[in-house]
Amino acid sequence: MAVIMAGFVDFEITWRKDVFSGAPQSGSAADFGTLGINFRARKPRTEAEWHAALKALNCEIPLAASEVK
Amino acid sequence: MKANAIQVEDVGLNLDELREAIQEEYEAVAAEPQRGFHFHTGRPLARLLDYKAEWLAGIPEAAVESFAGTGNPFSLGEIKPGERVVDIGCGAGIDSLIAARMVGSEGQVIGVDMTPAMLNKARRAANEAGLESVIFRQGYGEELPVADEWADVVISNGVLNLMPDKDAGLKEMARVLKPNGRLQIGDILVQKEVPQSAKQKIDLWTG
Repeated sequence: MAVIMAGFVDFEITWRKDVFSGAPQSGSAADFGTLGINFRARKPRTEAEWHAALKALNCEIPLAASEVK
Repeated sequence: MKANAIQVEDVGLNLDELREAIQEEYEAVAAEPQRGFHFHTGRPLARLLDYKAEWLAGIPEAAVESFAGTGNPFSLGEIKPGERVVDIGCGAGIDSLIAARMVGSEGQVIGVDMTPAMLNKARRAANEAGLESVIFRQGYGEELPVADEWADVVISNGVLNLMPDKDAGLKEMARVLKPNGRLQIGDILVQKEVPQSAKQKIDLWTG
């Protein structure tokens, strides 16, 4: 969300991997479930394109069928 | 910069002290890359992150040995001849040099880092490799020394997580990109909530 808020669209995490295990010194990466990631995004062509992405962030998440009484 | 100060003060840290600690850690990675850190470095790390052998061929060892990334920006999309690239937190220059070869003599790469020892290594490596399309500038990710809408691509590798003000860093990335420009980033994802007490430990920020 922070990436979209900063002025981007089409945010996507494409890869994640434990890149800290086996490092020479022990650290706290495992304590927090820390993974290496790759992500990409794109600067929109227009303000309108960005505003549409912001609007999509604010959409309501529909209830799952099991939650409907 | 006021936003930075507020964010860092929120967790009880001083911005200058935090940046100094991060610089000290990465000066050590520049000067003593074999010392052993709580992250992997160098050629073994590049293999772990699926860097292709053809990308590393001809990249001076000085740039490779101090590599400390967490991902692979080049796996996220092709960098084309003639393009302009900004590498944020370029360190000893491995990704800047790979990008320089991809953009060729018609393209340009600007590597930005806050640590002089890393920039010195990067400049020497670029000279050794004979790459004239890359330059290195000292600066912070939250205040990039790059003109508005200069770049076709912004890359960064294991650096956004070190920035005291990540929102400002992301906004700077957007500022320097042309419309429709691409962001290709390696970084970290923390899956468990980090308690306030841990956020106050400078050594957790520096790695």
